[in-house]
Amino acid sequence: MIYLDYAASTPVDAHVAEAMTALMTVAGNYANPSSTHAAGRRSVEYIAHAAGQLADLLNTDADRLIWTSGATESDNLAILGGAYFRQKRGRHLITMRTEHKAVTDPMNVLERQGFEVTWLDPESNGVLDIAKLEVAMRDDTQLVSIMHVNNETGVVQDVRKIGAICRERNVLLHVDAAQSVGKLPIDLGSWPVDLMSMTAHKVYGPKGIGALYIADRPGVHVDPLLFGGGQQRRLRPGTLPAQQIVAFGVAADVARLRMQDDLAHLTVMRDRFWSGISDLPGISINGDFESGFPGILNVSIEGIEGESLLLALEPICVATGSACNSKSQEPSYVLRALGLSDELAQSAIRFSFGRPTRSEDIDFAIERYRSAIEMLRRIAPERVA
Amino acid sequence: MSNDPYSARTRELFAAPAHAGCPDGALSATIEDQGVRIRLAAICAGDEITALGFEAWGCPHVIAAAEAFCASYEHRPVVELLDFSASDLMQSLSVPVEKAGRILVIEDAVRSLGSIVREALDSKD
Repeated sequence: MIYLDYAASTPVDAHVAEAMTALMTVAGNYANPSSTHAAGRRSVEYIAHAAGQLADLLNTDADRLIWTSGATESDNLAILGGAYFRQKRGRHLITMRTEHKAVTDPMNVLERQGFEVTWLDPESNGVLDIAKLEVAMRDDTQLVSIMHVNNETGVVQDVRKIGAICRERNVLLHVDAAQSVGKLPIDLGSWPVDLMSMTAHKVYGPKGIGALYIADRPGVHVDPLLFGGGQQRRLRPGTLPAQQIVAFGVAADVARLRMQDDLAHLTVMRDRFWSGISDLPGISINGDFESGFPGILNVSIEGIEGESLLLALEPICVATGSACNSKSQEPSYVLRALGLSDELAQSAIRFSFGRPTRSEDIDFAIERYRSAIEMLRRIAPERVA
Repeated sequence: MSNDPYSARTRELFAAPAHAGCPDGALSATIEDQGVRIRLAAICAGDEITALGFEAWGCPHVIAAAEAFCASYEHRPVVELLDFSASDLMQSLSVPVEKAGRILVIEDAVRSLGSIVREALDSKD
């Protein structure tokens, strides 16, 4: 098996796994951090340390982070909670058509509840034209949600410029950073971002733990979506999973120390792969190769049916569309928003690279992709006139 | 519970489509519908189908179904093409219900091929 689906999930780093399991057993510290006894207080210390590690990665204060079950929950809390908190000021929201379902679905929920949502289209390279955002802003706009790195295409949005526009108008900016935290430099100390969603399992941490950053600034807050305990300032109640939080903290620490090396490695792997397939007739990159995140390469190819390509590529593990959409037969809505035809969108494969990716894996993937294309083209009939 | 969308038989036929390609001099029928493009080709001797081949653009179930049809209908009477039903193919390959329409395109192509072959045979008589 050759795993090239690191945008869907990553393996847990050995240091992370060690720190996590050490806490879970009887020899570790498994106490409920809400308990006031000594063991409970120790759990709180572990959590505080982990929050500090994640805060260091993002250049923010640890007390600005709310622990969640992952980026989907963080997105829901930011968008629904942010919209509800600000609804007396206005009920207009702005987002992009290329956002993750964890953003578009809560937006759809809000629309059904009477909020208005403006859906911005990207340019053909996936990047948002900032002028479109400025035009879409209204007096009653309260929240803008734009992702940092697109999960399907790797397109990077300029969240600093977007944030500056939002700040001028006192509008909340939420950034889904599930694909960028721990992979690209993020400086919440200087970036004009109010809410940021993140998850551990995209950055060599475990599944089931994420966080929402909430900026310390007047008017920035979210209404809770869950009730039943006083944890985390009542914003997100529930027993804190200390072992997962510690794991996220270690993953953040490792990511901070390795980020430049990781980025260099991903760039080499992506460039090697693209140079091995770029001469195939009809092939094209979805997104922006030059400015995109190097861990993701999304390619379409003319005359190829995507589902058959995916099976012909086995044992390479890759994705059509996003993992969240992989059961769907529909072409990716993200790629359709970039202006691709149904057929070209349907032929798209997302290759995503990670720390464990080796040159041999890339060479194998090149050979397998080329042979799969050759086979599928050979057996395809001419179009009916 | 398996998360694999393909049966072992589907995987096997998709991986080694021995009948991919259309034999020279064959009569053929092409249909494009439901996101599927299929060309079926037959060489016949008298009333018997002696060789079958296919070209397909579609999902793995379509390619596997086309291969399964070709493998099982060689050396059978031409007349069987005319009332071919895809239900056995769907069952043997465990085709999910949402893809039934795509396999029915193969059924249409087979019947169309049957008509073309029959017409050619009749014109020789």
